[in-house]
Amino acid sequence: MKVKEICEKLGLNVHVQGDLDKEVHQGVVGDLLSFIMRTAPEGAVWVTIQNHVNVAAVAVLKDIPFIVLASGREPLQELIDSCRKENITLTSSKEDAFNLCGKLYELGIKD
Amino acid sequence: MSEPLVLELEVKPLDFLAAGETATQFKETLKSLGLPPEICRRAAIVVYEAEMNIVIHGGGGVMRLQVEEDKVTIMAEDEGPGIEDLELAMQEGYSSAPDFIREMGFGAGMGLPNIKRNANELYIDTAPGKGTKLRAVIYLNKGR
Repeated sequence: MKVKEICEKLGLNVHVQGDLDKEVHQGVVGDLLSFIMRTAPEGAVWVTIQNHVNVAAVAVLKDIPFIVLASGREPLQELIDSCRKENITLTSSKEDAFNLCGKLYELGIKD
Repeated sequence: MSEPLVLELEVKPLDFLAAGETATQFKETLKSLGLPPEICRRAAIVVYEAEMNIVIHGGGGVMRLQVEEDKVTIMAEDEGPGIEDLELAMQEGYSSAPDFIREMGFGAGMGLPNIKRNANELYIDTAPGKGTKLRAVIYLNKGR
């Protein structure tokens, strides 16, 4: 499914538009950066409550094109700037990570 | 290439905003050399974790990337407090990072184990009060 379709279906606030036509089939959830460094599949959507510039760094290194900040976290300006520079789609939602992942699963993001 | 390509960058202590930049820059370099994506990703993980160790624990230091025909070597050097018990530090889940750093998602105790997983060879020279020198080698024609 395309990044923009996921944004629409989940009602995400889009802070940075990266490649909205990028196809995403996998997801990862977590707030420990080293854990994400280890486990994130390439091209995945990443659901997290971490809200600082290193989130963008980890996304770049793991080829993650799409970040969702959960539980009402509004992204810090540095993170927005960094995602813009790296062409990463940065979004946020009032919903918590558990519910967001459930909805992603229903959309077919199952790995 | 006959001459190895060497790239060196300084890593500042506790500069979390800049942290990740060395890894990003090194990865770009490897990609531009046309190395396989898998090698670039593994090297990026090694550089990132080593960089974070220097930022969090090492009091700043230097990172060096060396690319030769058959391998990528990553070197990280700091003059920080050194690692007291290296065996313990290599254990997954063990961390000596302070709480404020853990709250940012660092200090999961997976840094050195992640480096080990992604490198074919790992050498660490450290002693209390003597700083830490890390060297990780990734061979281009070997898997993990």
